[in-house]
Formats: sequence, C-alpha cells, structure tokens
Amino acid sequence: MSNASPERDGGARERLQRWLPKLVLSPSCVLVLFFVYGFIAWTSYISFSDSGMMPDYTWVGLHQWSRLWTSWTWGIALHNIWVFGLLYIVSCIVLGLILAILLDQRIRAEGVLRTIYLYPMALSFIVTGTAWQWFLNPGLGLEKTMHDLGWQSFSFNWLIDSNMAIYTVVIAAVWQATGFVMAMFLAGLRGIDGEMIKAAQIDGAPAWKIYARIIIPQLRPVFLSAVVVLAHLAIKSFDLIVAMTGGGPGNATAVPATFMYSYAFSRNEMGIAAASAVFMLAVIAALIIPYLYSELREPRS
Amino acid sequence: MSFLHINNVHKRFGETHVLKGIDIAIEQGDFLVLVGPSGCGKSTLLNMIAGLDSISEGELRLDGRCINDVHPSRRDIAMVFQSYALYPSMTVAGNIGFGLEMRKVPRKQRREAVDRVAKLLQIENLLDRKPGQLSGGQRQRVAMGRALVRDPQLFLFDEPLSNLDAKLRVDMRTEIKQLHQRLGTTIVYVTHDQIEAMTLASRIAVMRGGELQQLGTPQAVYDDPNNLFVAGFMGSPSMNLVKARIVEQGGLPVAQVATDDSTLTLPVVRDRDALRDWCDRDVILGLRPEAITDPASANHGEGNIHEAELPVALVEPTGADLYVVTTLGGTHVNARMRPGTPLRSGERTRFAFDVSRMVVFDPESEQRIRDERTAETTPLEETA
Repeated sequence: MSNASPERDGGARERLQRWLPKLVLSPSCVLVLFFVYGFIAWTSYISFSDSGMMPDYTWVGLHQWSRLWTSWTWGIALHNIWVFGLLYIVSCIVLGLILAILLDQRIRAEGVLRTIYLYPMALSFIVTGTAWQWFLNPGLGLEKTMHDLGWQSFSFNWLIDSNMAIYTVVIAAVWQATGFVMAMFLAGLRGIDGEMIKAAQIDGAPAWKIYARIIIPQLRPVFLSAVVVLAHLAIKSFDLIVAMTGGGPGNATAVPATFMYSYAFSRNEMGIAAASAVFMLAVIAALIIPYLYSELREPRS
Repeated sequence: MSFLHINNVHKRFGETHVLKGIDIAIEQGDFLVLVGPSGCGKSTLLNMIAGLDSISEGELRLDGRCINDVHPSRRDIAMVFQSYALYPSMTVAGNIGFGLEMRKVPRKQRREAVDRVAKLLQIENLLDRKPGQLSGGQRQRVAMGRALVRDPQLFLFDEPLSNLDAKLRVDMRTEIKQLHQRLGTTIVYVTHDQIEAMTLASRIAVMRGGELQQLGTPQAVYDDPNNLFVAGFMGSPSMNLVKARIVEQGGLPVAQVATDDSTLTLPVVRDRDALRDWCDRDVILGLRPEAITDPASANHGEGNIHEAELPVALVEPTGADLYVVTTLGGTHVNARMRPGTPLRSGERTRFAFDVSRMVVFDPESEQRIRDERTAETTPLEETA
C-alpha cells in the first residue's frame, strides 16, 4: 500500500504536466481562432453579401467585387500603393544598404549612430505622420523656416500638391524604416568572413568590386527579408497616411487601406470595403506565406 | 641577398607589442614554416608579409624589393586562408579565375589558366559547382588553386589544414609537400602543429610571445634547440626535461640525476667546454625519448651509450613503439623501446642513454648551455 500511493501521485503529476501547457494556451488559442480567423471568414462572407451601412447577409455573389474593380477611387488607391510601395521598398533598401556599408567601416561612435538611425522605428506611424505633416506643411515647417531665414523664393509644397503628395508619404515612411533595414544589412555584413575580404584584396579587387561581386551577392537572404517586411508594411500602411494627408488632397494619397476605411465607416459600403480588405489580405498572404514556408523549412534542409 | 628578408620587423597594436623585432631570411624555393602556440604572432607576421597588416617598424624585402608599403595585390603573393575564404556566390572556376579577372587577363587566357590549375589539383569536374556544394578537402584544393593560378613569387598559407579531419590532413600535407617539390615555389606557412612544421618545412621558425625563438632546418630545431621552449614544443612525445646537477669527475663535467632510489651519473659529451663553468650548479637535461632505449636497440655505432638499471613506473605500448616510463629528477621520463620487450611496471630494467644527443639548459634563463663554436651555426644547419 505504501509504495502504491507515490506511484499514483507521480501519475497525477505527470498527467498535470502533460495537460497544463495545453490548458494555459487554449484560451488564447480560442480567442485567436475566433477574432482573427473567425473574422477573416466573416469579412470574406460580407464581401459576397449585400451589406451597406449594416451587415446584410443576402448573398449577391461577385456583385461587390465588380463594384470594387470598377470604382475610380480604388484605381487611384491601387496606383498609389504601387508608386508608394515600389519607391518605399527600393529607397529603404538602397539607403539602408548604403548606411550599413558606411557604418561597417569600423568607425568611431558606431553604437550611437546605429541607435540614432534605428530610433524612428520606435515611433508609431501616427507620430511619424504628424511630425512630417508639420515639417512639410508650407505654413508651418520647412518652407516657413526658410522664408523666416530670408530665403523668400524657397518653395516646397508637395504636401498640398495632389500630384506630389504621395511622395511626401514616401519620404516619411522611408525616414522611418531605413534604420531598420540598415540594421538588417549591418547584421548581414557582420556575418561575412573577414578572410574572404582579405582574399579579394590579395586578388586585386578594388573596394567597390569587393562589395558588388562578393559581399552584396551574399546578402541575398537579407534582401529577401527586407522586401517581404517592407512590402507588407507598405500594403498595410494606413495610420501614416491618415496622420499626414488623410488620403488627400482629394483622393491623391488614397491607398487600399484608407479606401477600405472610408468605404466601411463613412460611405456605408461595407460590402465593397470587405472585398478590398480580402483583396489586401490575399496580396499579403501571397507575399508572406511562401517566405515563411522557405524560412521555416530552411533549418531542416 | 636572400629572396624574402624580414628585417627587424615590429608590430604594435596601440600599447601591445605583438611582434618584437623578427629577423628571418629565406632563399628562393624555401619552405618556411612559422610555428608556435596561439598568440605567438605568427599569423600577424604572415598578414604583414601579405600586406593585410601594416608594419610598425622594420623592413620587408621580397626579391630585393622593399614591399613595406606595397598594396597586397601588387606584392606578387598569393595566400591560402584557414577558412579557405572562397567566394560563395561564384563557381569554382569563378573563384580560381577571380584574381586573373581583376588583373584584366582576357577571358580565353583565364580559362586556360584555370583549366591548367584544375588539372594539376584534380578538380576539373568541380569547376561548375559552387563552394557550398564541396567537401572540406575539395574546398581546400580550390583555395590552393586560387593561389596557384596566379603563379606568384611567394605563397602564404595560414593554417590551411586545421579545418580538415585528421586523415585528410595527413593526405593534404603530403600533397602540399609534393606540390612544393614539383613547382619549386617559395612558401611561408603558418601552423601551430609541430608535426606539420617538421614534415613540410625546409626552414622552421619557432615563435613565442612575439619573439623568434629559433630559426633553422627541422633537424637542427629538433636536435639542437636554443632553449627550453623550443625543446618542449617540438617533437611528440616531447623531449624529457630533467632536473640535474653538474659535478666534476676526473676533470670532466658529468650530470647527476636523482632516480627513485639512487643517483644516476651521465657523462657529458656535447658542449663540454661550456659546462665546465657549471660545476656544482643545477641544470635541466634534455633527452628525446628515442635517445633513451633498451640496450639492444641503442645506436652503439654513432651514439655514446651509457647504460643504467632503473625501475619501470609505467609501460605504454603504441604498436610501433613501447614507451617505458621511469622517474628521473622527480619527473616522469619517456623512453622509447622495442615493441614486445617483456616489461611490467614495478620491474627493473636496463636503460641505454645516448648521451651524445643530450642537451643542457640553464634553469634560470631557460637558454641552452652551449659551446661557443656551435652557438652560431651547427653542423646540421650547414649541411641543409
């Protein structure tokens, strides 16, 4: 009898150990299933329904989708996201890489500089957007300062120019994300074998050729990560644009996210908004899923 | 004028003095091995010859030309790195040809040169692969190919075999030696492995703490070490270093060593003149394991054999040899005997000491005690 009870105790503890993690994790798992995947499903359904201001579960097939694709504003939003996304990704990568290469020259105060470049990433897009809106506001920021300093002919009014406003958003977004991309590239550069660079020096390669032929080709995984991270940030960009331009002047800086917001909450076209939201999700999924797949698979191969 | 002349070279990194005046001169076709424990400055010296590290003081001459301030690519050298340092984004052919490409050699000539080297190293079938697809030994060959293709005046090897497994290391060592003999190139080779140094070198430079301890042929460094460090570093199993006392007996200095139960007296043959001044003083004797044998395998012809009966502390058979351990001067001493000698620990047996190979060191300065005339050049070094 006396040696049966510890066994039973051990069995109970073992069972508890086996079940405790599952018990602790299950509420959050249920919440995620409901609020993330549940609402994805719900939104997808809404995009095929006759919803206006309120959800209406009447099935209308692809009606909302065809209205979305014939909408003139959606066209602008798509055009803007292309311009914004391309410029944003390319500028961040080019500037980030240049900064990383410069910082990698074993300079003094590297730690301080790296932190300075990284800090914008710590700000929320709302703060970045507001700050840049003030800075680029002709009556308030850069232009006024230049006028006050005596440079009366100075003019920089892109923020209120409907042809140029999208580029101000690019400037702000690049300012925010470049430091992060730089940190990614810097980590990649630090991982490169120093002997390889010595070998290239002995082989007679000038510095720019060492970068072009030997170092940068080795940073391919970093490029891939940077593109994926920046691309999904670009597609999701909403708060920055709301804070800086509110999608204006007019619809000049409308992007799919602001389009979705205004159709859902101010134009009472929930069906079209849902269709645009599902479309954005599909684009991001098309980017992220193959990336995650290749990233998570790598250790095994 | 020697081919490569390292003249009083110093290296300082801020306050730390890494190389403290190195003087080495080698001739064309020499295989110089820089050997020493890690942190002795051997890799720094190699990097300075390559031009990858600046020279704080002193002069480097290659084929009569001062190369202190010449860019690495214009020194007419090639280097093989420990990590191989292959360019992962290029094919094997691209790797080997990169140096030629940077020197603007036309494509056709480049292709020919790469093919020639690939044939020499038997890596023709690997030319289109990327370094990531190669084994360690194949990468090693590619790294050597990259050095060979340029046909430089001087080859530098920085611990090229330390990333290979033991078996492959021996094979590649042989290949490097054959390559050196076939091509007659001049090589400076860095290693911490004294066996690699002994087998490859035509000249060995033993370094420690940024100072050159000894420069000479492998045999000279092995048989005639300058100090206790060189004696202990070169050779495996290492030289037996035994505390002893020099006394005068019949007008000649002899060495007295304490055994477990009595005193062993060994006559002194080498450096007798210098040792006369050391009578009644403590010294350290150096005896290679192969200089202590069983009487039957002792070299009675050339050597000067002195026999003594001593207790056996331990027997270690290795197959090829039988190492018999006894205690002399308070430390264990290895003797190399014929395998199959029937011995067990605790027994007593006769040991034959070849005192003509015995060297004596000053325990304070750790320097060798030698006769004046042999201090400069030893006969062994002259014959090399």
